[in-house]
Amino acid sequence: MHLFLLIGLVAFSIMAVLSRDLLKSAISLAVASIFLSLVFFRLGAVYAGVFELSVVAGLITVLFITAIALTRNDGDVAESKRHLIVFPLFFLALAVLDILVMRKLLGQIPSIQGAESGSFSQVLWNQRTFDLVGQVGAIFAGVLAVLALFRPEPSKGDSHE
Amino acid sequence: MLFLFIIVPLLLAGLLPLLGKLSKRFLPDLLASAAMLFLLVLSVVSAKPLIAGGGIIQQAFWFGAPLNIRLLLDGFSLFMLFTISLISFAVTLYSINYMEHYGAKANYYALLLVMIAGMNGLVLCSDLFNIYIFLEMAAIASYALVAFGRGHEELEASFKYLMLSAVASAFILLSIAIVFGVTGSVSFGAVAQGLKTLNIKYVVGFCSALFLAGFGLKAALVPFHSWLPDAHPSAPAPISAMLSAVLIKVSGVYAMTRIFLNVFGLTPALTTVLTVMGVVSIFVGALAALGQNDIKRMLAYSSISQIGYVVLGLGIGTPLGILGGLFHLFNHALFKSLLFLNAGAIEQSTGTRSLDKMGGLAKVMPLTATTSAIASLSIAGVPPLNGFWSKLLIIIALVQAKMHVLAVLAVLGSVVTLWYYLVLQHNAFFGKLNEAWKGVKEAPFWMSAATVLLALLCVVTGLVFPFIIKSWLQPAADVLGQGISVALNFVGF
Amino acid sequence: MNNMWILNMGFVALLIGIGLYCLLAMRNTVKLLIGIEIIAKGVTLALVASGYARNNLMIAQTLVITVIVVDVAVIATALALIISINRHTKSLDVRKLTKLKG
Repeated sequence: MHLFLLIGLVAFSIMAVLSRDLLKSAISLAVASIFLSLVFFRLGAVYAGVFELSVVAGLITVLFITAIALTRNDGDVAESKRHLIVFPLFFLALAVLDILVMRKLLGQIPSIQGAESGSFSQVLWNQRTFDLVGQVGAIFAGVLAVLALFRPEPSKGDSHE
Repeated sequence: MLFLFIIVPLLLAGLLPLLGKLSKRFLPDLLASAAMLFLLVLSVVSAKPLIAGGGIIQQAFWFGAPLNIRLLLDGFSLFMLFTISLISFAVTLYSINYMEHYGAKANYYALLLVMIAGMNGLVLCSDLFNIYIFLEMAAIASYALVAFGRGHEELEASFKYLMLSAVASAFILLSIAIVFGVTGSVSFGAVAQGLKTLNIKYVVGFCSALFLAGFGLKAALVPFHSWLPDAHPSAPAPISAMLSAVLIKVSGVYAMTRIFLNVFGLTPALTTVLTVMGVVSIFVGALAALGQNDIKRMLAYSSISQIGYVVLGLGIGTPLGILGGLFHLFNHALFKSLLFLNAGAIEQSTGTRSLDKMGGLAKVMPLTATTSAIASLSIAGVPPLNGFWSKLLIIIALVQAKMHVLAVLAVLGSVVTLWYYLVLQHNAFFGKLNEAWKGVKEAPFWMSAATVLLALLCVVTGLVFPFIIKSWLQPAADVLGQGISVALNFVGF
Repeated sequence: MNNMWILNMGFVALLIGIGLYCLLAMRNTVKLLIGIEIIAKGVTLALVASGYARNNLMIAQTLVITVIVVDVAVIATALALIISINRHTKSLDVRKLTKLKG
């Protein structure tokens, strides 16, 4: 079951890359996110799964579709068809290499006893408080960036050569 | 109190867009400059508990209630904090005049403050994941700042920068995930201890390679340097100065050095890789700078070259090498920001960045010409200015470590640096005054004030360098020289 | 438990490979952003897999949530850039972005 979810994730990611229509790409990406959040649920990371579902499969997909709608041009070039030939070769080579390396590493990684941790809310608010400061800063930066890029033109006309 | 380094810029960045509606120019200028001055003084004052010896871990407070944030301050962090605060202060003063014709000053200052908060947070954290998140915070602000003018060139440069930088961040995060998977923790102490007790050479090597790729791109080391010659010239001049002088050092060199020297431990393989990358960067940057016509692009390639010197010095691993590398980091922050600010002054007065079209500007912009000459001589390594001493330390360290070939190459790189800076000075300032620039005026007050301040510091640093080495470079070098034991001291805090 | 980690890491490598192929070979700027998003998925999977292997899922989840928030900010900024570039060049082709010589 776990393997099926992982294969589904990879399959829809490939579809997102190879799809020639941008909208289909974005939707494939959303479906891949759903598979990933199911993987998270199966591994026991419920909060991460919920977040992945609501933010990545929801918010980011909406952002992508908005951007795609705002940039509809006529005469946009579609991707060339040769990707349909090159990519499977590339992917096959990557998968073979991957399996070989992982086989070699099997059982070679020693394990250490992990540290004990508390409940989720305790970890988030007490142990990783500094991360929250960082998140706030990153959100500020993103909001200010969008404001800066979409600010109204100054009345003097074009300001910079 | 250390928490103020992060909270003050962040709070001000949150308030500025609102205040910007009230007062478009005066209030943002005043508040931003006051905040930078406050941070600068704070960084000097914070040195006091350190003089008692060793690093400190300080718990942050929020209106009296203790927050669970522990900030780490040792010699290396303090050194970086001081450098960041100094350059930010000069750049903020400069922006008072320069950003007039861009408009939206409140938004600009807010982004700049977020970037500075991110950099300050990066040097104060004691945890691998915190490094990643503050790195991203500063990076997102810098993407917007590079594209601030919204011209076609700037947007393209910012987009390429964003793409490459996002991939680098992903590599860094992947490496953190693998380290977490192997040792079960992300804090410096636990990771250092875990890696010491386990014996997993391949995994550590793979993680080191990922870190080198990720942080190497942030620091613009060859072969990961291709974003810098596009991003730094297109940005507004004060942002070019901030990026070249501080951001690539904090997010690239500081993070890489902290992790490699204090957590992983410097192995001979790492020394070889770092020194070779450093020397290759020196040459690629210097040779590419020779052929440039655009003044800011020449300065951008020069940054790649000088960061090569810093990584070369730090990569050697001997106390003298680390000392030279850190000194050169500080010096480069001083003179590169000065050079970019002057290039911005020229661009604002004459409207061009092309060296062919300039000429004889020394007659109409004497102050800019003088400060630029001081900076060029410093970076080329002319005694008794500061650049000479830092390069000398690195070269002596190379000879002591029996890397004679690299020492010769470093000296050659310095000669090429001297050459292209003489070309820059000659084409821009000396020679016959081009007819078109007869009516050009000197740079406005705050811009000149910032550049004069930096130029004075270049001269003073060069003259009193033994004092500077003893007082604050040596503690920083000691922290790095102690290697993994620094991280192991903080296990389980 | 370690074999699960290796299995998950194998898929992480696949995802990152797919994302890198997208970045290197695709011409549309929005597609490039999708490539970065796929790489981000791979890295979050790596984080959760590592947390699962070390029986420390709580820390792993906090890290993943933080990464997703930062990822949203990066994608928002990148899309704003793409829309602004589109206003100038009326095209989403990355090959049109050759004004700078790199």
